[in-house]
Amino acid sequence: MADNNKINLSPIKDMELRASRIPGVVSLAQGVPSFDTPDAIKNAAIEAIQKGKVAKYSLAPGLLELREVIAQNLEKENKFYDFEEEVIVTAGSIEAITATMLAILSPGDEVLVPDPTYTSYQPAIKVAGGVPVFVPLDEKNHWAFDITELEKRITPKTKALLFCNPNNPTGTIFTRNQLHAVAQLAIRHDFYILSDEVYKDFIFDASEKFYSLAQMRGIRDRLVYIFSFSKAYAMTGWRIAYLATHQDLAKKILGVHDALVTCAPVVSQYAALAALEMADEELAKYHAIYKSRRDLICRRLDKLKDIFEYQRPDSAYFVFPSIKEDILQKIAPGGGSKEFAIELLEKAKVATVPGAAFGPVGENHIRMCFGRNEEDINLAFDRMESFFK
Amino acid sequence: MKPFFKKIVQFYLKIFTKIILWRFKPFIIAVAGSTNKTVAKEYILKFLREKYGEEEVRGNPRSYNTEIGLPLAILYLDTGESSFWKWWKILIQAKMKALFSRKFPSKLVLELGVEKKGDMKYLLEIVRPSWVVVTNIEGSYSDAQSNLDDVFEEIKSLAQKLPKNGKLILNFDDERVKNLAEFSKAETISFGFSDGSEAQASDLKTTVQGQTFNFVFQGKEESVEIKKYGRHNIYAWMIAKIVKENL
Repeated sequence: MADNNKINLSPIKDMELRASRIPGVVSLAQGVPSFDTPDAIKNAAIEAIQKGKVAKYSLAPGLLELREVIAQNLEKENKFYDFEEEVIVTAGSIEAITATMLAILSPGDEVLVPDPTYTSYQPAIKVAGGVPVFVPLDEKNHWAFDITELEKRITPKTKALLFCNPNNPTGTIFTRNQLHAVAQLAIRHDFYILSDEVYKDFIFDASEKFYSLAQMRGIRDRLVYIFSFSKAYAMTGWRIAYLATHQDLAKKILGVHDALVTCAPVVSQYAALAALEMADEELAKYHAIYKSRRDLICRRLDKLKDIFEYQRPDSAYFVFPSIKEDILQKIAPGGGSKEFAIELLEKAKVATVPGAAFGPVGENHIRMCFGRNEEDINLAFDRMESFFK
Repeated sequence: MKPFFKKIVQFYLKIFTKIILWRFKPFIIAVAGSTNKTVAKEYILKFLREKYGEEEVRGNPRSYNTEIGLPLAILYLDTGESSFWKWWKILIQAKMKALFSRKFPSKLVLELGVEKKGDMKYLLEIVRPSWVVVTNIEGSYSDAQSNLDDVFEEIKSLAQKLPKNGKLILNFDDERVKNLAEFSKAETISFGFSDGSEAQASDLKTTVQGQTFNFVFQGKEESVEIKKYGRHNIYAWMIAKIVKENL
């Protein structure tokens, strides 16, 4: 395997690993909710175990009743899919992405990814022999797509665009107009779009209503919609997600999914069913708490305006500030965001993720997660304030 | 909910539900099957409300269709989830509705959910449907025989309990469902894409906007367009059409 195709441990996990070796570190690194899975979900999983419903493989695309409820939920958001042929329950969203990549890519095919974007997309593309091609987002325009830049990077080898909306690490959403422009490009240049919407339930005060490309019927033959239960229902450890796409593409992906995992963990499928049927109240509660934490982290960042500049996130639970040049040189002379984050970890005992991990444009930024509780956020900022004094 | 408390809730909800059904004697259409109950119920509700008005027809909110869900659906109450006090309040509301309510819909469209032996017997102690719709009998496991025979037996007991003047509406594309016809004294109406179905869909086309198909029933032919994907939506539409035309 060529060097540029080498797959290393995700920089987020690398920072968590480094942090685990230092006693007393407060972590704003990995995007893990601070909550436990809601009781209604845990109880449903326990009941399924006790009733002997989880010991066997489910059908490869998942339990029929779960897929049916998924399709009903999608319909409430104007996303229409056939639960029997077009919905596949997967072992986490990264399995959905990897299976799709393996289904659609040939070695050397290119996949466009926004820059910055979620770190684990690159390895998923590389596993399938693909080549990630970064498309810089426009930071000054609230991290919007620059359609001209996007079009410039399309070649005959372009097979797909993979992005998350709301975006990780910026916590911003892509507008309806931008997404329509992206869809037009996909039709014109004949490539697939993978829209990972894991944070769609955590929109706080965006300037316009959240829009998903899955609502656009005209591109359903080239769109793969992905949703994970991990963040919305505090279920990261259950490894459960789903994808929805046109039946022709779903058939191809299903073959790979079957080869990779046979089926998603059945106990987790019952938990996911309970999440969709019984956890609306918890979802609303988490939304309110994350909004309050977003406001807190912004207030604390405002106090560090000589150190960081940031775009106020309107969704998800990340903020992605840039480090002022003079500060970067003072803290990590000659280095970048990685050296800065390591200094912050070792000297201030605060774990963050270096922006370079999310793509070249992410350099000179760090990602902070406010999925952690308020006490952790305050402690992290108290430490940083002392460190930067 | 703790098992003992669940039994108490179940017991009282059953009594209050039987009281309200005895007082108002609504016409009950039951929708049974492994999947597609909710979509079929929603289509039936839509078609019947167009015919009889919003107030006269009610269905299970969400998919309340089991031993506790069904009484809640009939009494039109929300679930207490895992809260003792919420359930206590619900039991008081159930009692008030059962004894003192003055209005009740004349038609109920109820999903009946079964997954193991004995489930249907319990549900039939609460409701006695006049008409029964069976959507399909399908499994969720890769082991093809996994409890499908149990589900068949449960739905068979529902078909057997139908009165002679009732109607049994069956999906003839599903071999197990088709076999139910021989166990009921009620009139059977079949639907599906298969030849021999009394209500038959054909010439299915999927477009960007949804699906189109031809539908023939009782000598009338029509071209139908629905803005959703998947055969289950076509089945649900056909079921609702049969119910509306025959009620």
